[in-house]
Amino acid sequence: MMQYLVILLDDSSVSYCHCDNPHKEHHLIGLDDLRAGILYAMKQNLMIQFVYPDYELPQEYLDVIDTIDHHDIVPHPMKGDVVVAKDLETLTSMQADAVAVLRIGKAELFASGEAIAAILPKVQRLNIVITDIDTFTDDDLKQYNSLLSRLNEVLKEEYLTGHTPQLNLLTDRMMLTKPNHCNAGVENITLAPNGRYYFCPAFYYSNPDDSIDPQAIPNQQLLRLDHAPLCRHCDAYHCRRCVWLNRKTTLEVNTPSHEQCVAAHTERNAARQLLEAIRQKATFMPEVEIKEINYLDPFDVRKEW
Amino acid sequence: MDLYKIKDNEPAWQSGMSKNITFIVTKDCQLACKYCYLVGKNVKERMSWETAKTFVDYVLEHEDEFREESVVWDFIGGEPFLEIELIDKICDYLKLRMFELNHHWFNSYRFSFSTNGINYHTSEVQSFIKKNREHISIGITIDGTEKKHDLNRVWKQPTADANGLTQPSERGSYKDVVKNIPLWLSQFPDAGTKVTISSADIPYIKESVLHLYSLGIHQVNINVVFEDVWQEGDDARFEEQLMELADAIIDGGWYQDYACSFFSEHIGKSLDPERDNQNWCGAGRMLSVDAAGNLYPCTRFAQYSLRSKKALIIGNIKDGINENLLRPFLTLDRITQSPQKCLDCEVASGCAWCQGENYDAAQTNTIYERSTAICLMHKARVRANNYYWNKLYRKLELEGRREEFEKNERDVKPEIC
Ligand code: SF4
Ligand code: SF4
Repeated sequence: MMQYLVILLDDSSVSYCHCDNPHKEHHLIGLDDLRAGILYAMKQNLMIQFVYPDYELPQEYLDVIDTIDHHDIVPHPMKGDVVVAKDLETLTSMQADAVAVLRIGKAELFASGEAIAAILPKVQRLNIVITDIDTFTDDDLKQYNSLLSRLNEVLKEEYLTGHTPQLNLLTDRMMLTKPNHCNAGVENITLAPNGRYYFCPAFYYSNPDDSIDPQAIPNQQLLRLDHAPLCRHCDAYHCRRCVWLNRKTTLEVNTPSHEQCVAAHTERNAARQLLEAIRQKATFMPEVEIKEINYLDPFDVRKEW
Repeated sequence: MDLYKIKDNEPAWQSGMSKNITFIVTKDCQLACKYCYLVGKNVKERMSWETAKTFVDYVLEHEDEFREESVVWDFIGGEPFLEIELIDKICDYLKLRMFELNHHWFNSYRFSFSTNGINYHTSEVQSFIKKNREHISIGITIDGTEKKHDLNRVWKQPTADANGLTQPSERGSYKDVVKNIPLWLSQFPDAGTKVTISSADIPYIKESVLHLYSLGIHQVNINVVFEDVWQEGDDARFEEQLMELADAIIDGGWYQDYACSFFSEHIGKSLDPERDNQNWCGAGRMLSVDAAGNLYPCTRFAQYSLRSKKALIIGNIKDGINENLLRPFLTLDRITQSPQKCLDCEVASGCAWCQGENYDAAQTNTIYERSTAICLMHKARVRANNYYWNKLYRKLELEGRREEFEKNERDVKPEIC
């Protein structure tokens, strides 16, 4: 069921997910489109998430935004519910009560293990989004594994002292007993500054012609988990199952790439180790069980017909 | 011949265990059949030897990625025998390289052709057949009686249009094909022919199948087109034709030694969502290459086969296959792509689909939306098929031959395309 409406307030609104925002020019959503979006959300009972550019909006926009309950996704150093860091440095000066998002390429990520380890004890929640996950190689996986092991050490110590910072890559799977995917096009849709609707911001960024009618989405079932042949049997519950990345890499929204799956399973297996490590010292999340598995890509163990 | 053995449909050679690899050697053909799904046929795109060789090298040097026990090297067009010289060279090279590499396919390969039969008698084609006699299967397409055949299978205009595309003429091709049938059957007595039924062909089904039998063709593989071409009332007319055909086959005793793929004991049952979830179509488990060196999951995804979608290219002969693009094909199952009516359908078994047509007809760019344009036609076929088996079994019963029949009956899996 649809639950959220994401509204990109400007073409240059901050990206908080896999796809870069190629738009650099300021171009605000029309006030009428903004009002219409809010009205739509009210009638459909959708919670709105506004996504902001890095400049102060005109007062008339702020007034309209203020007419409805919402969450704010903002670029650092603005204040909001979700704050997107420009880089590792700005992460250190984040407001403590917000969800912090760090978009980062794999090379920089692998080189930043210690910096992230140092930040973890200071955050409530950090979402790391790897922007080039579709290019993961076997060698990258090795490096990713050691990065996650290092972060596990920090997280274990924190959890045992009663401080429980969340890191999407590791602690989400540890807490989940069922899938928690992005569900773009099923639970959330996006209103872009051109006044049209999209599955998510990435579809707008990559091709503005990919708009949809939110009341009549063709083949919407293919966005649902029950129509994803690999994912519906998968227990990497924390995986975003990004339908935009799926389409980019395999041409089908319901089929993930090999790279996506092995990265998510590397995280899943690391989460399993973290859970075990904490449980060696304390009782923790007894309802969660992460089984030992011998594959990283569910495609390799699919049912063959 | 065992008089009491009922002729059942022949399974495809090593079906299931073999890799089907198709060379689209040319997009040209002497004919311009009116139902031809190849919308972009043209005289320009012919495969070069360099392209063919690079492709062969790619496939044979990646033995690890092609683990199927055997291989069918398929040559299609347009009309493949227009390129017999190139084909001969490719086949020689294939044999040489499979031998040199000690490839596991060396003793388990076949060259396969679907031809319009027009050039069958030429010395080039004949010497190729002699050279590769033990490793060839050839299907000649003949649609039935002269009238039926010439309804669709007409010669193309002598000159292509401004875009290089071929256009149909009024001249039928029946006589040019049928003269080669005796030679073909003398060389391949078990060969079958493929017949494709569109809306206008329905009234000719019975006479066509009987005509093909009378020419000595024992196996008639016949199916309705997957495209949405059907008119109101076609299903009733189709059912009636098939029942007349059933009567003729049973009353005339043809069933003993001749087969028509319309009638099968495996069709018309409900399907279990768990057990019977397999994809019908072999796209993705096959591989095709065209003149430009692009690779496709099946020829139906090449641009010349598509009406409304872009070609779905999964790689090229230089860089190989992009495995990520194959994943949707290899994970596709019946349940995920079918609408609810097909999941609830009580006669679903044998109701086929073509992944390429599904893709071409889909509302979005997906292979996961099953086209059900043949729904009413399949249901009509099921009714006539039930009639056929009920009538045949009763006859065998009365003649005291039913038990023997059931004992000898072969279990034939439905053929994937
Ligand atoms: S790991 Fe792969 S199969 Fe599992 S949910 Fe993610 S994308 Fe789907
Ligand atoms: S297309 Fe029609 S006949 Fe075929 S399975 Fe679906 S509902 Fe049944």
